[in-house]
Amino acid sequence: MDQIGVVETQYLQFDGLRLESGGYLGPLIVAYETYGKFNDKKDNAVLVLHALSGDAHAAGLDENGRTGWWDGMIGPGKGIDTNKYFVICSNCLGGCKGTTGPTSINPDTGAAYGRSFPLITIGDMVNVQAMLVEKLGISKLHTVIGGSMGGMQALDWACRYSDKLESAVVIAATARLSPQGIAFNWVGRNAIRSDPVIPVNHSDSTTGDAKSGRGLAVARMIGHITYLSEETMQAKFGRKRTLRDMDGTTYSLGENEGMGGEFEIESYLQHKGSSFMERFDEDSYIIITKAIDYFDLVRQYGDMVSAFENITAKMFIISFTSDWLYPTSMSMAIVRALQAAKKHVSFVEVDLPYGHDSFLVPQGMPTLTRIVRGFLKGV
Amino acid sequence: MSDQVLEIRTPFHEFEVGFNVIIDLITPSTRVLDLGCGSGTLLARLRDEKDVEGCGVELDQEKVIRCTERGIRVMTLDLDHGLEGFPDLSYEYVVLSRTLQQIINPERLVREMLRVGSKCIIAFPNFAQWKIALRYLLTGRTPIVKTFPHPWYNTPDIHRVTISDFRHFIHDIGGRIEKEIFIIKDTPGTNISWPNGRAEWGCFQISAQ
Repeated sequence: MDQIGVVETQYLQFDGLRLESGGYLGPLIVAYETYGKFNDKKDNAVLVLHALSGDAHAAGLDENGRTGWWDGMIGPGKGIDTNKYFVICSNCLGGCKGTTGPTSINPDTGAAYGRSFPLITIGDMVNVQAMLVEKLGISKLHTVIGGSMGGMQALDWACRYSDKLESAVVIAATARLSPQGIAFNWVGRNAIRSDPVIPVNHSDSTTGDAKSGRGLAVARMIGHITYLSEETMQAKFGRKRTLRDMDGTTYSLGENEGMGGEFEIESYLQHKGSSFMERFDEDSYIIITKAIDYFDLVRQYGDMVSAFENITAKMFIISFTSDWLYPTSMSMAIVRALQAAKKHVSFVEVDLPYGHDSFLVPQGMPTLTRIVRGFLKGV
Repeated sequence: MSDQVLEIRTPFHEFEVGFNVIIDLITPSTRVLDLGCGSGTLLARLRDEKDVEGCGVELDQEKVIRCTERGIRVMTLDLDHGLEGFPDLSYEYVVLSRTLQQIINPERLVREMLRVGSKCIIAFPNFAQWKIALRYLLTGRTPIVKTFPHPWYNTPDIHRVTISDFRHFIHDIGGRIEKEIFIIKDTPGTNISWPNGRAEWGCFQISAQ
């Protein structure tokens, strides 16, 4: 089987975007990657939408040899077969991986937006994706597909641009974030706020942008707990310890970088938090989690059935039995509203033990691959 | 008498006649909801042979995935939770094939079927078939037969329903029986004497009054 190989992220510039809040944001840069080839009619495009911490690099290898976040799903012969489909993935608006976000330079000030970046919505992100799709010369997408925040975007796509897609796959998502979800996001943002960005050394240009606070790491650790299931944690870590020489009188609070905590789960979270700090921006984290919190199709359209009224796409809703952050009941609410609106909807609750992250973990990929491949073929 | 399985029948869905009986009842180019659709074999045939727009409901994950792979629209739902969310009269036909005897509350589900579909097709094994009934009477024990292939203490077939039971049931819930088809030795027929004692399977088309 061929592989995608090394992929280069591409960039497109736009004048700007009228935000749903009323403000204007410009100029706008969109980072994206593509895999596979257009067919003659250009009707084989699949738009892949990433979750909170994802980026445009969905498949193949980047120049540093890093594998894309959904490489298990996208590629020749895989669930989203790049021999058949032209696959696009872009970094979302407000992100920190190439698309305009808080780390971009504000043309008015000449400095990075930072915390002055305007509030954005899932709808704004979708509007930017639609600009990219149009620029690529696609009049109708075969499918938009995404999980978690990507699933919210897929749902928003179907409501907003009903004539621009044949189908939408909404994985582990919701039409409105639960108060529990908002609560976790709030704690994450609080961790960041309580530990403000302190440039390590303003006078030293090599460390001027470095941030010493670990608030973002704490936010990520909280997030990670919500993405896993109790069962996965039990199976993967149990009560195993990493520091076997603990003598019962001393303990670690994770102050030694890389050493982590006493239990393996602690070290795992410590590692996840630390690596996230290196690859993500805390203002992006704030602005994106705010957009997720605000997402509420019921509030936006009056009720969910009205939100779905104009949908023409074939809708495919997927939930996971072990996902307690975006549980099946939330997917069911979407399904029921789609049914009430007499839309073409399929629904699969997948029995996987890996929690909200089930659509990302390699162990879940064989099952999810069969489902996604089957649906895409039937569109 | 030993516990050996009586050799009288084949599961409804596993032989052509079971499908054919249902397929014959269905008008082309209609919408069909198949409850307990398995791997989607019936819906695939209805799509290919009768241009039917189908949707299946199934709980078993492997079967749900098979449906998806065959391009059959499917939903992972538990029929014991009813059909909440399906709009009134949103399907021309709602099919419940050889699953009635496994539903915890058949009354609730059949009432729901009559709400969702203009017509309902229900096929189930007949526990009053004379060989089963005789065996029941002579041994005093619940027979294990091909239509009810599991021992009473570990079986999905929690109701031992008969054709006579079903007729009364539909009457009691205010439904109307439009068609009755009985299957004896793989042969379907409509005008059969003493169907309650002779038929291995009953297949009914019903509607709301």
